[in-house]
Amino acid sequence: MEVPMDPLFLAWSYFRRRKFQRCADICTKVLEDSPYDQESDSSLLMSEATWSLKTRALTEMVYIDEVDVDQEGIAEMMLDENAIAQVTRPGTSLRLPGTSQGGGPTPAVRPVTQSGRPITGFVRPSTQSGRPGTMEQAIKTPRTAHTARPVTSSSGRFVRLGTASMLTNPDGPFINLSRLNLAKYAQKPSLSRTLFEYIFHHENDVKNALDLAALATEHAQFKDWWWKVQLGKCYYRLGLHREAEKQFRSALNHQEVVDTYLYLAKVYQRLDQPVTALNLFKQGLDHFPGEVTLLTGIARIHEEMNNMTSATEYYKDVLKQDNTHVEAIACIGSNHFYTDQSEIALRFYRRLLQMGVYNCQLYNNLGLCCFYAQQYDMTLSSFERALALVSSDEEQADVWYNLGHVAVGIGNLPLAYQCFKLALAFNNDHAEAYNNLAVLELRKGRIEQSKAFLQTAASLAPQMYEPHFNLAILTDKVGDLQSSYAAARKSEEAFPEHVDTQQILKTLKQHFAEL
Amino acid sequence: MPEVKSMFREVLPKQGQLSMEDVPTMVLCKPKLLPLKSVTLEKLEKMQQEAQELIRQQQQQPSPAQ
Repeated sequence: MEVPMDPLFLAWSYFRRRKFQRCADICTKVLEDSPYDQESDSSLLMSEATWSLKTRALTEMVYIDEVDVDQEGIAEMMLDENAIAQVTRPGTSLRLPGTSQGGGPTPAVRPVTQSGRPITGFVRPSTQSGRPGTMEQAIKTPRTAHTARPVTSSSGRFVRLGTASMLTNPDGPFINLSRLNLAKYAQKPSLSRTLFEYIFHHENDVKNALDLAALATEHAQFKDWWWKVQLGKCYYRLGLHREAEKQFRSALNHQEVVDTYLYLAKVYQRLDQPVTALNLFKQGLDHFPGEVTLLTGIARIHEEMNNMTSATEYYKDVLKQDNTHVEAIACIGSNHFYTDQSEIALRFYRRLLQMGVYNCQLYNNLGLCCFYAQQYDMTLSSFERALALVSSDEEQADVWYNLGHVAVGIGNLPLAYQCFKLALAFNNDHAEAYNNLAVLELRKGRIEQSKAFLQTAASLAPQMYEPHFNLAILTDKVGDLQSSYAAARKSEEAFPEHVDTQQILKTLKQHFAEL
Repeated sequence: MPEVKSMFREVLPKQGQLSMEDVPTMVLCKPKLLPLKSVTLEKLEKMQQEAQELIRQQQQQPSPAQ
């Protein structure tokens, strides 16, 4: 005779083995068999436990670390009421990338992202596109598919994820939030926390979550740091940054927790106060010496402020504590590559490979490092693997673009031409490929074609100086001095220290003066 | 081979002016190291992709209730 396992115990076991869907299914069944409104105390407890477990399983399915989540919409960025001054002092704002203070690389050696920052070795949800400087740029940015920015953060990814979780249940959502008596649940500490996390992460209903947190913290007589942190998270999502700051500060008074420091620093970063955030991280380090997440936070701020030398210092500190930290290794590696030390960069990327990172990006980087470190035997096979591992068209385009560089390096211009064409076939918005193709076209003597490519590149990526500069040279050669001057001005805007641009501008000014 | 070496002699102008014109040349965009993705970002992308798949499936086969 077979004795069936207690379903709740089985569900709990599935939960611990991170098989959340199965866990939720069993819970649903248990709840169907014995609905919540039972009289006897023991079965009420049982169904409460099942209900709580199901909320936890559903939350875990869509759980994202809140520290990492940060997506600023156009509305928040442009209608920002927190700014005190229009023009910030240098070194105190994340908004202006700043022109290579502290020995940052110039755009001549390190490509820049949409917002005019040097590209980094690692992407997180919040570093995907940086902050565009003007409204015009902000609206233009979403035109290239992979850096799409939501109009406001409350219409962005969160809502999409919320509706996605609803789709999975054809009978509607598991908990009907509008019918929930939040005050009742706030009294029960064992249920309220899982319920809060469910509302916050699974349903993405911040307002209800805030109500619950407010009631619960009242029930705990404002002494529970956990609820204060949750209140802060809700305020942050709602864009009430000063209120969020108060809650986090008050939570820190009760209990020193690393997470609270990270949340609070996130608030300061959103308020565009990187220096305060840095000080906070250092305070945190006094309490938690050598804490990796705090050190990483410092390094990220330095990197965002374009201070690569100190960023690298801090990333090295991170590696001293945790020598398998992927972000630190990748950032140091890319920094070495763009400071012309591809051999050392190669060692960092090889380390990542040894650690088991196995994806298209890594092989692409290995291929590039091998080529520039003159280890030609590994170059092409790395790129082959990168191409075999691509997961999206944009990645494929980038790999072909880099292969084009290898082809240029070995002097095989027809191959380079084909590579750049392929990059464009996979991603029609690849501005760098347009620019390089234009250079190759000009070598073939096709001026009109080259000019068209350059104009496309310039309109796709106005933050890059190369297309503007090339256009300035090309129009200068054909005698169109006015266009040349306009293009050179744009190039100067994108890269003020570029000597060749300055020279063109000087000769053009002389020309105009003679007329 | 000494004979072959003597065939080529370097030519260094000893007198007269040496002039060089600095002509601006077109610049290529730089090679792009691809940034690695954080675990959170990968999870987000995976969840979005799954949700899109689900929507597509549900749109293709409308539920029998309708």
